[in-house]
Amino acid sequence: MNTTASLLPKEKTAAKIIKLDQQTIVFLIFIIIFIAFSIFLPGFLNTGNLVNILRSISVLGMLGLGMAVVVIGRGIDLSMVAILAVPTALTMTLASTGVDLGLALIAGVALAIAFGLLNGLLTAYAEVPALLTTLATGLGLAGIGQSGILQFDVVPWPDQLNPIEWIGGTTLFGIPSSVISFAVVAIAVSVFLKRTKLGLFIYAIGDNPNAARTTGMPVRPVMVLQYLIAALIAVFAGLVMASSSAVMDTRIYNLSLIYNVVLVVVLGGVGLSGGRGGVWNVIVGTLLVGTILNGMTILNFSYDAQNLVKGVILLMAIAIDSVLNPRNEETAQQGDI
Amino acid sequence: MTPILELRQATKTYAGVPAIEGVDFDLMPGEVHALVGENGAGKSTLTKVMAGVVTLNSGQMLIDGQPVDFRTPLEALAAGIAMVFQETSLVPTMTVAQNLFLGQEKFINRLRAIYIAAQQFLQSLNFNVDPTLTVAALGAAQKQMVEIARAVLHKARIIVFDEPTATLTPEEKQHFFHLIKDLKERGVSVIFISHALEEALEISDRITVLRDGKKVVTDITANFDRNRIVKSMVGHQLSQELYGRNTQARPPGKRVLSVQNLRMGTMVRNNSFSIFAGQITGVFGLVGSGRTETFKVVAGVLKRDYLHGGRILFNDKPVRYRIPAPAIAQGIVYVTEDRKVDGFFETMGVSRNIYAGLLAKLRGKRSWVRKREEKAVGEEWTKSLNVKAVSADANVIELSGGNQQKVVIAKSLIQDPELVIFDEPTRGVDVGAVAEIHQIIRQLADEGKAVVVISSYLPEVLSLADRILVSRQGKIVEEFANKDVTERDIMYASIH
Repeated sequence: MNTTASLLPKEKTAAKIIKLDQQTIVFLIFIIIFIAFSIFLPGFLNTGNLVNILRSISVLGMLGLGMAVVVIGRGIDLSMVAILAVPTALTMTLASTGVDLGLALIAGVALAIAFGLLNGLLTAYAEVPALLTTLATGLGLAGIGQSGILQFDVVPWPDQLNPIEWIGGTTLFGIPSSVISFAVVAIAVSVFLKRTKLGLFIYAIGDNPNAARTTGMPVRPVMVLQYLIAALIAVFAGLVMASSSAVMDTRIYNLSLIYNVVLVVVLGGVGLSGGRGGVWNVIVGTLLVGTILNGMTILNFSYDAQNLVKGVILLMAIAIDSVLNPRNEETAQQGDI
Repeated sequence: MTPILELRQATKTYAGVPAIEGVDFDLMPGEVHALVGENGAGKSTLTKVMAGVVTLNSGQMLIDGQPVDFRTPLEALAAGIAMVFQETSLVPTMTVAQNLFLGQEKFINRLRAIYIAAQQFLQSLNFNVDPTLTVAALGAAQKQMVEIARAVLHKARIIVFDEPTATLTPEEKQHFFHLIKDLKERGVSVIFISHALEEALEISDRITVLRDGKKVVTDITANFDRNRIVKSMVGHQLSQELYGRNTQARPPGKRVLSVQNLRMGTMVRNNSFSIFAGQITGVFGLVGSGRTETFKVVAGVLKRDYLHGGRILFNDKPVRYRIPAPAIAQGIVYVTEDRKVDGFFETMGVSRNIYAGLLAKLRGKRSWVRKREEKAVGEEWTKSLNVKAVSADANVIELSGGNQQKVVIAKSLIQDPELVIFDEPTRGVDVGAVAEIHQIIRQLADEGKAVVVISSYLPEVLSLADRILVSRQGKIVEEFANKDVTERDIMYASIH
């Protein structure tokens, strides 16, 4: 039993030297790719496209922030895209049928909270592995959205919601407001993770849930809180997304967006083994992934080819992550991602 | 005669701290060689090197005079070195026969064939174990037999036993000694790690004593007696200071904890005892005697049986904790026996680990992390417990075992407990830090706190405790005052 433990310190220090620089490395790769695209890709380096990149990564980045909170706490939330799509579409549908704006918003947010709670309660109290819980709840929520409560797959942005259009559909000093929303969420998550007691608890639980319990931290409630935060960020990101593109296509769940989110988090250096990383990691990860996606679109890669590239990068990122942040076998549980 | 196995100037360091340093060791064919030394003396590391679990930083290992370099345990096994661990490495859900042939199965694995083969093999060894039983159904001694059988089956020429007798009853122990003699007659060399010096003196041909990762002496057993071993183990001054007998017993203060008829599964059976303020209560018992489980229930780490679980009175009020948090809030802390599993947070620094303890205690009173407070707390506690770290931000995982333990202790003491439960407080701790940790524990009792020290190391209990409880088979069976008890009394109570 002590074998792995006594071997750990050496590997850990080696990993740490590299890990200290991981976000810097990713940032440098981003710079290199950005410069390469600027030189070799016509139509990459112009204001229109850059704004386009920023707008597209802001939603991805927000989802990444929510995911990061969960991953730091040693979980994963695959239902984020469903929570982004369906509660938002619900709010939009309700608003378009004349329901009061506030009520429509409350309904959407309540649906998101319900699923966040469901994720949290199932993982924390029923001890179902997070991977399976959130896969199932996401699937279920997407199903409810597509077959039950919504009339159309594609819900247009109703005029009734225009009072909150400023969260994503406008610009401020030429900056798309979705980017500003991303920045606000990033600052909020950063403050939460680094400055609050609950944020510290999330790191502690991700690092070593047994030690967190013995130390007297409320492990299970904090785990529920993680999923709740992820769900709230997801529904906010959904509203930003809908307001900036004036439509919410709930079929987005069937696309590979969730893998992009995982890619952002892992590539940025938030270790899947928990307890590591922060908002900066998500930001550099988002910049890199967003740029690559945009470049591939300009290069006219087919959707399938893009998936292939993303799959390969994701696989490499996860492999490198498990080398750099090896799982602590003494605290690992069955079903951990 | 060439030694079957030889180590020359073997050195292994973990994160810069040497676990063994320049050790020379040799093992003759058909020899029983005992390795003795304190916790952290380097016995386990030495045997792990032989078994290919860890590789040397410098030095050489020779088998039959040929230099070897094992990268994996498999290579060592192929060379005929097998290790029998304290925690058995058998698969509990498989049968004895399946375990014996684990990893050697033919492509088509016929159960009947391996049962027959196992039966014949076990009989040839004179082991009375049914090969069709699942390992989970076996007792500790039988599990050990299976492990030994497996080692012999793998044609092991060298078998390393790590604390083989810790969980055995006296009868089983005698049987085990017979087994060792049998192995010896078959020409198998045996390395034997033990805390029990009498055993080493009884069955070994030669004894090697390690201290602080260095070899002190190797000599034939006839030239040793208990005193000489102890002297070489601890060095002169340390033996007095470290495990000197506690002569001035503190009188009991008010009764802090009263446990009545506590039950938990098969581990704790109808356990009743009390703990008093202002003194150290030592709890001695063999591994598996339910001592750890009992106190984990008290601290809320484990749950007692729902029905007929018994009563726990803390300060005369009945309590029932499902998680440790409320126990900590009311003043009971449990300092774990295995700090890597549930002790510290390895990605965090020293200060943050300790501060995490404070924040967990201050439930509902603090919402924000105060960096300045964290820094102050870190500095205060690293100073008062003498934690040696590069800086207060150094990662705990990079510290030595003793300093890690001090951080875990600080994390609990900052929670301002009334009752502190130390479970094996000096396990895997370097000798220098043992004295310091003992000092911390004594000071807590002097300050009037109720202190419990669970230990399977008798000298530690005798040196710290004012009052000694002996646990056996899930309950406290005997209580002694330290001043009028002998080691033999305690040992006797713990196994009979």
